[in-house]
Amino acid sequence: MASNHTATEGSTKRYKVEGPKKAIISFIFSVLLTFLAFATVISGEINKDFTYIILIGLAILQVFIQMAVWMHMKDRGHTFAIIGILMGVFIVFTCVIMAEYWAWW
Amino acid sequence: MSAHSHVEGQLPHEPEKATLEGRNKILGFWLFLGGETVLFGTLFSAFLALRHQVLDGPTADELFDLPLVALATALLLTSSLTSVFAIHALHTNKVKALISWLIVTVVLGLAFLGLEIYEFTHYIHEGHGFTTSAFSSSFYTLVGFHGAHVAFGIVWISLIIMQLMRKGLTVVTAPKTYIAGLYWHFIDVVWVFIFTVVYLMGKVV
Amino acid sequence: MAHAHTHTVKRHSGLMDWLTTVDHKKIGILYLIAGGFFFLVGGLEAILIRVQLWKPLNDFVSADTYNELITMHGTTMIFLAAMPILFALMNAVVPLQIGARDVAFPFLNSLGFWTFLFGGVLLNVSWFTGGAPDAGWTSYAPLAGTTYNGQHGVDYYVLGLQIAGIGTLIGGINFLATIINMRAPGMTFMRMPLFTWTVFVTSALILFAFPALAVGLAALMFDRLFDANFFDPSGGGNTVLWEHIFWIFGHPEVYILILPAFGVISEVVSTFSRKRLFGYSSMVFATILIGFLGFMVWAHHMFTVGLGPVANALFSIATMLIAIPTGIKIFNWLFTMWGGSIKFTTANLFAVGFIPTFVMGGVTGVMLAAAPADFQYHDSYFVVAHFHYVIVGGLVLGIFSGLHYWWPKMFGRMLNETLGKWTFWTFFIGFHMTFFVQHFLGLLGMPRRIWTYLDGLGFNEMNMISTVGAFLMGFGTIFFLLNIVTTAFKPQNVPADPWEDGRTLEWTIPSPPPEYNFAQTPLVRGYDAYWKEKMDGHSGMTPAEPLGPIHMPSPSILPFFMGVGLFIAALGFMYAPEWGNLFGSFKMGYAVGIVGLLVLFTCMVLRSVIDDHGFHIEEDEILKDMGGKA
Repeated sequence: MASNHTATEGSTKRYKVEGPKKAIISFIFSVLLTFLAFATVISGEINKDFTYIILIGLAILQVFIQMAVWMHMKDRGHTFAIIGILMGVFIVFTCVIMAEYWAWW
Repeated sequence: MSAHSHVEGQLPHEPEKATLEGRNKILGFWLFLGGETVLFGTLFSAFLALRHQVLDGPTADELFDLPLVALATALLLTSSLTSVFAIHALHTNKVKALISWLIVTVVLGLAFLGLEIYEFTHYIHEGHGFTTSAFSSSFYTLVGFHGAHVAFGIVWISLIIMQLMRKGLTVVTAPKTYIAGLYWHFIDVVWVFIFTVVYLMGKVV
Repeated sequence: MAHAHTHTVKRHSGLMDWLTTVDHKKIGILYLIAGGFFFLVGGLEAILIRVQLWKPLNDFVSADTYNELITMHGTTMIFLAAMPILFALMNAVVPLQIGARDVAFPFLNSLGFWTFLFGGVLLNVSWFTGGAPDAGWTSYAPLAGTTYNGQHGVDYYVLGLQIAGIGTLIGGINFLATIINMRAPGMTFMRMPLFTWTVFVTSALILFAFPALAVGLAALMFDRLFDANFFDPSGGGNTVLWEHIFWIFGHPEVYILILPAFGVISEVVSTFSRKRLFGYSSMVFATILIGFLGFMVWAHHMFTVGLGPVANALFSIATMLIAIPTGIKIFNWLFTMWGGSIKFTTANLFAVGFIPTFVMGGVTGVMLAAAPADFQYHDSYFVVAHFHYVIVGGLVLGIFSGLHYWWPKMFGRMLNETLGKWTFWTFFIGFHMTFFVQHFLGLLGMPRRIWTYLDGLGFNEMNMISTVGAFLMGFGTIFFLLNIVTTAFKPQNVPADPWEDGRTLEWTIPSPPPEYNFAQTPLVRGYDAYWKEKMDGHSGMTPAEPLGPIHMPSPSILPFFMGVGLFIAALGFMYAPEWGNLFGSFKMGYAVGIVGLLVLFTCMVLRSVIDDHGFHIEEDEILKDMGGKA
């Protein structure tokens, strides 16, 4: 699937175009995780708080996979992309704590 | 500042990163996405704080219809995959495949947007207007901001398709295509949290 | 990429040049002019406030006007004066300090300026259209809601700040990308001058704080224009939510302001002590730590809201932690001066004056961080004294220091030192007169944001002193303006390194620098790159590339029109209820708003489809420049 080429000038490393296989696997994973999330809610068998935890966990896992593979964050040269997103996530985390605990308290 | 050292007519590998302008664009766009994370995070937290304030309007449980949400999710998730195929075509220098996959992405995006418009009009008939309650205001603002991002992405990618048709794949068009792809994935990532936090968690009673 | 070297781009002159420029040095000057103008407007508002308060039961302005004055004074000074002047310094200096020919996104740089300017103008238009915003610079709900604020004042606040905020966000992303991607060979992160480091961290704070403000302002706008219920308790909304969102943005904002000032002080103190900055890596570490902690302390503005003892204790401790990295900085500046051969130029006077003043502001900050004590200080003049000590005594002294220091680099002319010292002493003494007594006014119980006060409360004398001090600060500013005007008539003949002790790359190139900054990109061999070459007996930097044609981005008028479009759109949506119908029930105001947005989107489409090939400055032109100035 993947075709090999020599790299651009100045670099002796071999450049490899990544095949769409990983993308498709990630897609299947995403579909599966989405399905699990919907199934958890529709079945309605698990108590409320635990359902929330499962749902958020599934969402984070799915987003992690998509960002790593589809958005190439697992590839080299993404240091600042990772720092940027993580810093954003950190601030979102504080915002969510605010909304859940300190908006009405 | 110009790094056009490649031979004319022969595209370098990863053409989106071949010039400094291209690398700047990608880096700047990632930083922008970091800011977008905070933007949506703040919208989410406003929604989380206000989601139980329904006053006389319908509650989330009464309102939301999971099959509709599942369909919307399927559309957006698939469009994200087709944009991965588009970027793959970009990396293998197949312009026709690139344009075709982008067109598929735009069509799926349009379908998603149509579904959302249908959904909103349906809710308004159910007595869930923008001004009904704090829940409704924050719901429409959060989901509407996402919808506006989808609409913006559709116009943007359409413009890029036009440019690819006219100018072909060059070190100028490649980074534009690449960051539009990143943007489209990001929209999907936000949607994952929307269907989880807004719809699914709203259905848990 | 089909661009021949013969590709010609129209190069404008005169007014058109300034409207279309994408050159960071010119944009820096534009920021300085616009920010300086708003600084004078905000300063005038401050003087009017102090005139109103100079004696008990004064009726110089009405209570309503007073509310408008304090709101606009705060908003203008923070968003339209302090930040733009910082952006002026950032634009003028950062690309030069890292050895870059331009910023990463020259077009966006210009867009950031024009959106800021039109946002700022929109905010100030409110003075002439029936009332400025009057809910305080924090615009707390429900006071800022339509129930208590039916006029358009707060609409101007919401939309003006939203538009100006877009510009700031763009600027932040631009500087992050510039510093990450555009550094000269050898300029590693740990060799960057400290001013560049502080700009880097400040830009990161802008990137992560401003989107929160954008959401808060959008929600308040929806509440006001489209009857949403975010902050309206009768619709199920939550007023405290606004306070949270505002301060999640607002606290990082004060670090956005102060960090670049820390950077300026570091550069100036080091240069005029002829010593390497003491504890460089601890300075970098402290800067990053302050930036990070800045996001975790927002609720210390809300101790009296009643979030409970757990939240108050957490935010109390987190706030006090910030004193540690700040203390590191203070000690490092002192140790930099220790044993150095100090020259008290105007720039250095401001820097040295900054240190004790900022310490005083920091000490009252730690006092305010103690939650139980804060219940006493809250909403009193003690708070007013505290934040003016950090913002004026910190940031504004830092800005003055930086302007005196880099003025010759920006304009090629030295500011007059005698007038500079007059500026410093009047401003410095005036500042302490104005605000030192306000600590005690606060402790005596004088509440902030009041229009007037009764006789016999013991407030009279101190308020009088405060007002006299404010006038002295005004004189200081006038001396500075005088200095600028007289300097403008002097010949432009300043050498590349006018202070003779320049340590960083900006002093290796002519003053003012040519359009392309560096004829040849320099090779950086260590921290304080230029100083290192001087110590090794070299006269200049080793070039990292041969002389050759330099590629430049083309100028563009689009950013200007994008600002215009946003300005028109904001007015249209704001006045939709009053302007009547265009046809049927379609409102005239919405039509105007849509036209404004169309202008914006047309410009965006044009920018996307038309490739910017730029142009080249040829070798012979560069050689001519070098011959003329070397």
